[in-house]
Amino acid sequence: MPSDPREDLVPWYNRLNVVNLTFLVFLLAVFLSLPAMEGSGRELNYWENITRFGSKFFPPDLSILERTLASLWETFQIAACSTFFAIGLSLLISLGAAQNLAPKWLVIMTRMLLNMIRTIPSLLWALLAVVIVGSNSLAGVIALTFYSIGYLGKFYSEAFEAADVRVRSALRDMGASRMQAFQYGLWPNVKPLIWSHSLWMLEYNVRSASIIGYVGAGGIGLHLKLYADSPNSWDKFSTVLLCILFIVTLLDFLGERIRKRIKQRLAGQNA
Amino acid sequence: MTRDNVLPLLTARGLGLRLDGRWLFRNLDFSLLPHEFLALTGPSGVGKSSLLSCLAGTREPTEGEIVRNFPTDKGIGIVFQDLLLADGASVLTNTLCGRLNRYGFARTLWGFPEQDRTDAFNTLQELGIAELAHKWAAETSRGEQQRVAIARALLQEPALFLADEPVASLDFARADAALNIFQREAREHGRPVFAALHDPRQVGQFADRELKLSANCPEDWTLQSVSRHAL
Repeated sequence: MPSDPREDLVPWYNRLNVVNLTFLVFLLAVFLSLPAMEGSGRELNYWENITRFGSKFFPPDLSILERTLASLWETFQIAACSTFFAIGLSLLISLGAAQNLAPKWLVIMTRMLLNMIRTIPSLLWALLAVVIVGSNSLAGVIALTFYSIGYLGKFYSEAFEAADVRVRSALRDMGASRMQAFQYGLWPNVKPLIWSHSLWMLEYNVRSASIIGYVGAGGIGLHLKLYADSPNSWDKFSTVLLCILFIVTLLDFLGERIRKRIKQRLAGQNA
Repeated sequence: MTRDNVLPLLTARGLGLRLDGRWLFRNLDFSLLPHEFLALTGPSGVGKSSLLSCLAGTREPTEGEIVRNFPTDKGIGIVFQDLLLADGASVLTNTLCGRLNRYGFARTLWGFPEQDRTDAFNTLQELGIAELAHKWAAETSRGEQQRVAIARALLQEPALFLADEPVASLDFARADAALNIFQREAREHGRPVFAALHDPRQVGQFADRELKLSANCPEDWTLQSVSRHAL
C-alpha cells in the first residue's frame, strides 16, 4: 500500500521557484534600502509645504492657452517626425538583431548597439542634439529619433523572431525569390505587431517631447521651464501640464483601442 | 487515355525515408502521369506528409531518387497540411502569392498586375470565398483558410499539384467542389494531382489511382487503379 506523501519527505528548497525567490530577494533589497528614506533631518512641515505649493497651481491661468496649444502642436510634430524616422531606421536595424534572420555575430553587435542607445535617456539625447544643431525643434526630432531606435529596434527584432517563418519557406518552395518570400510570407505576419509597437512609441514620444524642451530641444517643455523659473507662474505651469495631460490621455485612449483592434483581428476566428 | 506512351511528370524510383530510426516507406516506385489524379492513402502517421515533402523537394529521401520531368519555372503547386498562409495579409494577397514565381521582386513590390488580380478573384469565386477577399487570413475560419491555400496553389498554374489533406477541414459539398476543380485541372489542363486523402468515398469518386502506404511494413505499399463500380 502506498504511503501518504508527507511534506517532510520533500526537501524544503523544492518550494522555491523563480517568483517567490526573486520576491524574497526584492524584500531584502528594500530592507537594505531603508536609509534612503531618512530625509534631511530638518524639522519641516511636509503637509503645509505641499498645500502651500499645491495651491499656487490653482486656478490654472488660461490666458496663455493659445500659445500653449501652439507649442503643444509643435510637440506633437516633433513626436510624429521622430517616430517616423525611428520606424524606418529601426526596421533596418531590427533585421540585423533578429536571431532568425541575421548571422549570430551581427545579432550580437546590433543588440549591443541598441543597448547602448537605450542606456542614454531622452534628456541626454536632447542635450547632445542641442549642442549639434542648436536650440530648436530639429534638435528634438533628432534626439527622439535616436532614443526611439533603442526601443523600436528591440521590439521589432522580437516581433520578427516571434513570427512564423514557415510561411516564408513555403513561398520559397513555391518559387518566390528571397525578397518576395520576405515581403509576402514574413512581413504580413509581423506588420500588425510592428504597427502596434510604433503607435505605442508615438504616444511615448509625445510624452518625451513634452519634457525635452526643458533643455532647449523645442516643444512645450520650453514653456514648462519658463514658468517654473519665473516667479509666481505656477498657475501658468499648471495650464501647460493640463494640456500635456489632455494630449497624452487622448493618444493613450486612441492607441489602446487601435492596438486592441489589431489584436482581435489577428486572433481572428481561430483564437 | 493511353497512359503507356505518355511521359510521367514525376517519377519515384526505389524511394525510401527513414525518420527517427524508423523506415516510413521503402522501395517505393511510382510515377505521376499528366491528366491523372493520384490519391495517397494510409493511416495517420504512416508518412504521407513526409512522402509529399520529399516530392516537393523540401526533404531529402534516405534512399532512391526522384525524377522531375517538367520545366522548373512552372514549379509545383503545394497545398500544405498546415496551410501556411500569411495571417496578416488579405485573402486576395495570399492567393496572389501563387503567382510570385512569375515575376521579379521589383514587379511585385507594390502589388500584382491587374490580370493576376482578376484571375485570383475568379479562383476565389469558384471556391466560394470571393467575398472574403479583403479580410485578413487570420480573420477567416479554418475551412475558409483551407480554400485560400487551395486557391493559391491553383493560381500558380503549376506543372503538378501536391496536396496534403487539402479538404480535411471542408464539409462534404465544399470538399467535393474543391476536388472537382483538382480533377478538372488534371484532366483538362494536364496538371496532375497527387493528394493525401482520408475519405475512401473521395478517393473512389475523384482519384484515378491510389497509392496506399502501410503502417505495418514500409515496403508493403500498394499502387492500384481505382475502380468506379462502387459509385
